[in-house]
Amino acid sequence: MTSYTVRDWVTIGLFGALWGAVELTLGSVLHAIYPPLTNTFLTGVVLGGIGVAIALSGRHFVPRRGSVVLIGVVTALLKLLSVSGVKIGPVVAILVESILMEIVLCIAHASRWAFIIAGALAMGWNIPHMLIMPQILFGKSAAEAYNQVIQQGSQGLGLDPSTALLILAVLLAIQMSVGAISGLGAWHLGRAVARRLQPRGGDR
Amino acid sequence: MSPWGYLLFTTWAAPMAALSEGRWLLGLALVEMAFGLVCSRRGMRLLGHPRFWMLILTAVILGAFLLGEPDVGLGPLRLSREGFTAGLEMAGRAFTLALAFNLGLGSLSLSDIVAVFDRMGLRGLGFATALAMNLLGTLQEMATVTLQTIRLRGGLRRPWTALRLYLITTVANTLRYRDEIVKAATARAFDPHKNPSMPLPLQRADLWLMIVLVGYTGALLATK
Repeated sequence: MTSYTVRDWVTIGLFGALWGAVELTLGSVLHAIYPPLTNTFLTGVVLGGIGVAIALSGRHFVPRRGSVVLIGVVTALLKLLSVSGVKIGPVVAILVESILMEIVLCIAHASRWAFIIAGALAMGWNIPHMLIMPQILFGKSAAEAYNQVIQQGSQGLGLDPSTALLILAVLLAIQMSVGAISGLGAWHLGRAVARRLQPRGGDR
Repeated sequence: MSPWGYLLFTTWAAPMAALSEGRWLLGLALVEMAFGLVCSRRGMRLLGHPRFWMLILTAVILGAFLLGEPDVGLGPLRLSREGFTAGLEMAGRAFTLALAFNLGLGSLSLSDIVAVFDRMGLRGLGFATALAMNLLGTLQEMATVTLQTIRLRGGLRRPWTALRLYLITTVANTLRYRDEIVKAATARAFDPHKNPSMPLPLQRADLWLMIVLVGYTGALLATK
């Protein structure tokens, strides 16, 4: 982190604020509509998709190792400091998603495919999150958490609960597809913004 | 109490909440409430939020109805004593975990967090966090103005183009704002690599807290 300039830190702060603004405004609305013990799938898809797009766009403007994790840390701290009280689940999700994106971007250098895979992998976390967090937060057993996810999935998808593996696979596919689209969107968004910010000769 | 004390409290209480069961969960809740009353009145405001109690009560009620075999009748309803106990424990865990974060980390002000990062040699991260917190309102306003402009120009008739335009304009405006902030930080001779300037010493209350927490953990381990 010693190579980070003031400009890099400001950019990280701004992208963290953008993601934080989405989490605090849209997140509050969605968590009010879908409280923590009801369906968290849609909330995860919407907030995760937008968050992934913002964090990966930020990577365009701070092309250094660790920048996506740092954007995630700033967002998580904003969520922790928000007036509505500490929400442990979203904070964990933001941190894990940003770590997963960073891992992909460290292994495969920033390219269109790296952004797509990073987005898909980060969003793929939402399913394990739905299984692990109820165990940590409420002490539910793994089987109870699994049953709850399957019940929610079967209601949402209109599938029979006995096809549990199919339900899990479809939920995971939806999450990862949204993540991949967000990653691709971030790649194009970053390039489009960079083009717009370039000084044009004709303006002089 | 210094910010280190609050950080220590969350670092201790969060894993304890996840690992404790039965009467030890109740004991942890009492320790947290005592800490809240003495050191963190701000964090105790959580207990005044109806949504928080709804979450806790939902865990108890759902446990009684959905877990275990129903063995008690309550009018037309059939409840499970085993499920009720499990629900109570789930609610207790959620309660103690929420307090662990609200009374510790949640009680720190923005300047406390910046000072802690500063002492840990993460000056840049503290700066970025403070910047993000202070600019939240400005960014939200910029995003709203962009949306209104697109709407007033009839852009919403083509939703996908409007969305693309909205995202590009919002991010571009944010980055234009960046240059002004960098200039302001440079003018104030801000250097993210400079040695920490603010001392953040431990206080006597931090040491007392550490003794109490070590004592509680020792008692828990001795009885297990």
